[in-house]
Amino acid sequence: MRSAPSEVTTTGGGRTRVGHHPPSHAIRRVLDSAIVLRLLTLAVVASLWQLYAVIVGGLLIPTFTGTVVEFVRLLGDGEFWQAVWVSNQPLFIGFAIAVVLGIPIGLLMGRYRWAEQFTDVYINIMLVTPMAALIPILVMSIGFGLAARILLVVLFAIPMVIVNSRTGVRQVPPMLIEMGESFGADERTLWSRILLPGSLPAVMNGIRLGLGRAITAMVIIELLMIAVGLGGLIINFRGAFQPEGLYAVVVFVVVEALVLISIVRWLESKLVPWTHEAVLASE
Amino acid sequence: MIEVKGLSKAFMDRNGEVAVQALEDVNLTVNDNEFLTVLGPSGCGKTTLLRCIGGLVPWDEGEIAIDGNPVRGPGQDRAMVFQSIALLPWASVLRNVTFGLELRGVHRSEANDTARELIELTGLRGFEKRMPNELSGGMQQRVGLARALAVDPDILLMDEPFGALDEQTRRLLQEELLQIWEETRKTVVFITHSMEEAVLLGDRVVLMSARPGKIEEIVPVPMERPRSANVDSVEGSKAFREVTTHLWSRLRDWQVDVGRARR
Repeated sequence: MRSAPSEVTTTGGGRTRVGHHPPSHAIRRVLDSAIVLRLLTLAVVASLWQLYAVIVGGLLIPTFTGTVVEFVRLLGDGEFWQAVWVSNQPLFIGFAIAVVLGIPIGLLMGRYRWAEQFTDVYINIMLVTPMAALIPILVMSIGFGLAARILLVVLFAIPMVIVNSRTGVRQVPPMLIEMGESFGADERTLWSRILLPGSLPAVMNGIRLGLGRAITAMVIIELLMIAVGLGGLIINFRGAFQPEGLYAVVVFVVVEALVLISIVRWLESKLVPWTHEAVLASE
Repeated sequence: MIEVKGLSKAFMDRNGEVAVQALEDVNLTVNDNEFLTVLGPSGCGKTTLLRCIGGLVPWDEGEIAIDGNPVRGPGQDRAMVFQSIALLPWASVLRNVTFGLELRGVHRSEANDTARELIELTGLRGFEKRMPNELSGGMQQRVGLARALAVDPDILLMDEPFGALDEQTRRLLQEELLQIWEETRKTVVFITHSMEEAVLLGDRVVLMSARPGKIEEIVPVPMERPRSANVDSVEGSKAFREVTTHLWSRLRDWQVDVGRARR
């Protein structure tokens, strides 16, 4: 009880000194957190963008603020969401096909020489060919419909899925396979117990890279050949000299891509927890 | 009883010519409940011999039979412990130990009970839910040992299981292996390149030479069992010194020969 009055007499300045960390530490901790850093870089980029647009300017350079306003307007626009729907159909259908076909093809190629010899040439062609060059051929042979767009998404995404799945199987340590065999595992059991779980990290990596390529394909074909959906919107905005709209659509595509890739990353962390850093146990 | 008769195996190079004669006319009998250690310089084919007995690799000539039945592949009577440990990185300690049992169709709950007993025996209690990369090398090899013992094999095939461990951990695991062996009395074939390890653990030491991989000598180890309780006095004993000295004199001769041949 005797100490109470003395505490009361301490001023506010005294209390801050009582804190566990000096204030400079608190500031550093806030600065260190990733979100703050990202917001900071965003602020810097936005300011430079705004300055450039205002000082240098130009017919097709919108301001940052103008783009934000247009972005918000688009989000309330039914036609915009119609375009999003049109674009995302080939993205999701094509990506699903790429994953469903690509994973087994890649896994078989990684494990069996006959599968490798059968498909290797085509995979290499797909890897080295600039896929955009195929767009005119695609459109000429199967038309301007959804099918052409789906096929392009598949062609863009599937090499990533195949090559990474193949790598995944090959990276499974031979000692693990031998261990399985020593306990009497047949080929089927080796797949379910060792090869599939062992290649999962690389397969997920392929899915993530494939998704990025699928999004690229979705936009490219709409920009180059079939002016519908989001790509069509970009072309229209450009034609109408409305750079804010053009930029806002691009921003939307970027945001969608980031969201989709974070979903895959989240899935990856749920399915492949063992690649994460582990704390060493003391013996 | 394991009987190896006239076993030969060569590894070919790309042109189909013999690159390494890994095993040449190897004859060996391992008795039931015997702890046999195989000692030799690296590249002498001792691991190949073990893999042949395990049924993991084919051989060129000769026969291997276990209790009179020829070996045609891996079997339920044998289990292996690997130098590389080979744990499934995505599975917990418990699931790694139950791996062999699940492959043999043992029900999950029964497999768990068996695994818990062996986790206890190998000093892993409390680590059931840990992942392999959370364990030290010594703890990982305990899991490897528990996994092999879980299927209750007649024969335990151990391929330099402590070769990658540091000295202290290695000593500790040698003592514990002796203890476990004294309780379970499995037939063990244990590959090593350490003389002390071969003598401390084995009833007999099979001495192999390299290129071609041949059995040079089989040395009985005249030391009493159980040894696990007094490892230090075992290692200080006259018999221990005599056997290791003899083994070293043989091994040193080959090293000198190799040195001369190089010059």
